[in-house]
Amino acid sequence: MGERSKHRILMVSDFFYPNFGGVENHIYYLSQCLLKLGHKVVVMTHAYGKRSGVRYMTGGLKVYYVPWKPFVMQNTLPTFYGTLPITRTILIREKISLVHGHQAFSTLCHEALMHARTMGYKVVFTDHSLYGFADAGSIHMNKVLQFTLADVSQAICVSHTSKENTVLRSGLPPEKVFVIPNAVDTAMFKPAPERLSSDEIVIVVISRLVYRKGADLLVEVIPEVCRLYPNVRFIVGGDGPKRVRIEEMREKHSLQDRVEMLGAVPHSKVQSVLISGHIFLNSSLTEAFCIAILEAASCGLLTVSTRVGGVPEVLPDDMVVLARPDPMDMVQAIQKAISMLPKMDPQAMHLRMKKLYSWHDVAKRTEIVYDRALRCSNQNLLERLSRYLTCGAWAGKLFCLVMIIDFLFWHLLQVLQPAKDIEEVPDIILPNCQYGEKSGDFSDA
Amino acid sequence: MASDDSCIANGRYKYIHDDHKDSIEAIDAHHVVVQTNNSRVFFVGLSALLLTATAVSLSLLKDESILILLWSLLLSALLVKLFLRKPVEKESIIIMSAFGVQLETQYGSGRTVRRFIPIDKILKPVLNECVTPVTCYWSLSLIVRGDEELTLVFKELRPPVKMLIPIWKALCAAATNSPNDS
Repeated sequence: MGERSKHRILMVSDFFYPNFGGVENHIYYLSQCLLKLGHKVVVMTHAYGKRSGVRYMTGGLKVYYVPWKPFVMQNTLPTFYGTLPITRTILIREKISLVHGHQAFSTLCHEALMHARTMGYKVVFTDHSLYGFADAGSIHMNKVLQFTLADVSQAICVSHTSKENTVLRSGLPPEKVFVIPNAVDTAMFKPAPERLSSDEIVIVVISRLVYRKGADLLVEVIPEVCRLYPNVRFIVGGDGPKRVRIEEMREKHSLQDRVEMLGAVPHSKVQSVLISGHIFLNSSLTEAFCIAILEAASCGLLTVSTRVGGVPEVLPDDMVVLARPDPMDMVQAIQKAISMLPKMDPQAMHLRMKKLYSWHDVAKRTEIVYDRALRCSNQNLLERLSRYLTCGAWAGKLFCLVMIIDFLFWHLLQVLQPAKDIEEVPDIILPNCQYGEKSGDFSDA
Repeated sequence: MASDDSCIANGRYKYIHDDHKDSIEAIDAHHVVVQTNNSRVFFVGLSALLLTATAVSLSLLKDESILILLWSLLLSALLVKLFLRKPVEKESIIIMSAFGVQLETQYGSGRTVRRFIPIDKILKPVLNECVTPVTCYWSLSLIVRGDEELTLVFKELRPPVKMLIPIWKALCAAATNSPNDS
């Protein structure tokens, strides 16, 4: 077990801070843990409003907010070759050895991975969500995914269910896909210092109130549970198009004093909302992995969830009660959970979660994937084109054409802006004190 | 008067440093001169020549009106005037440690724009990375007291960072040595 070499990684995604979400947090925590392991991490994303240019985050994490305008759902406008110059500049400046793209729905990720492959860099892709196969949007996205993954070095999925989904959608050989689950920041999600009294049972729901997250199920389940158990109260946090339906349900059954609507809860306040409850209810209709239930379990709540996607893989059986996405089944699951409550110990659950899930573990496993990716052989253009041809009768030829044009653009760019004109950035050495200035080591530049 | 000259050149820019250390006026001048780009001269000259040749052949061989020849001559003259002369000749910064900093831009048309910043108004010189949709480059700016925006030292040119570093170091030394520290 010799010393592992240190990598220089570029994380690419449309989704990053200042947005908060599963993918954004994943990239941030993974980058921080990789920095602690001694690797160099740079993040590339699109500009968010006025936040454009180079920014530094905790631990010296450098983020490039490239001024491409997002056009729909936080995604950059897909121009195929438009991002080639800036991607090439960043890869050369930071002396990157490996590019890691996140989320199949991010156009910047697909473009950056395509350009990185053209320029000969090794590429890793992480898929965070499950997608369908049948509707028009999914068909097109799966084709794009097939194109990107045809030539990826390694892929990572967040659960075994997600691996199956990704492999079926993209036609990638399963040996190339690693499963590394997400983790939770157990230092932030701690249980309440004193146990809550159990004469009134509080059920917490925090999710975006959209169809995909099962808001319609909540509309059926909440009145039924309130009818069966007079001592149960609900706290609903989150906002979305389905919020109106839940408010209507509240009015119809006169549950204003038993169902509290908090509206959108900022990420920093989630823990304080969670520790005010005994049970966490998750009603999603599809989930590749569910970080929300990890956060709830880390705070010592018992979880009731729908048995969909990767949810059964997340928690041990004594910490979660699963049900079909059907209102009656969910009501029965809540009944079972209420009866299990006296045996639960929040502090013990928190300590268990600390051992089971940690971002440092995710970073170590990801490091193994990077080592494997860097050992992949270098292939020239012709060998890589043969892989694209297998994507389909028409699509294969189209993909080959796209890659050939990208290759030609790259050579044109090498003539117009030679690599020696792009200056490499010296590594900034952070002093140990937190509030000190960062001083660059410019003496040898 | 001994002057310490140092010179760094890359294909596009040449950096000259005049350091009059021993003279009575202790000034430190840094110049960035734009080199003539031979390939551009060649390209512009060639296209002007081709344009004129096409017009001449059209008017002579095909008996087109003389107006086309005149227009093409005008166009090539315009082309040469616009593209042959460099838009910016030279940009310089003169650091007078007791008084302040003078930023100067010399344009190809002969016009020179100067700006003086007193030394106690300069809070700090910074080297920034600027990201555009197609590239990322280094720029040297000054944080000036009372101004919301950073003042770029080199407004028009983008010299490479190895030319900017000695200027940055000199500015840092001048800014910290100033008598007014608060």
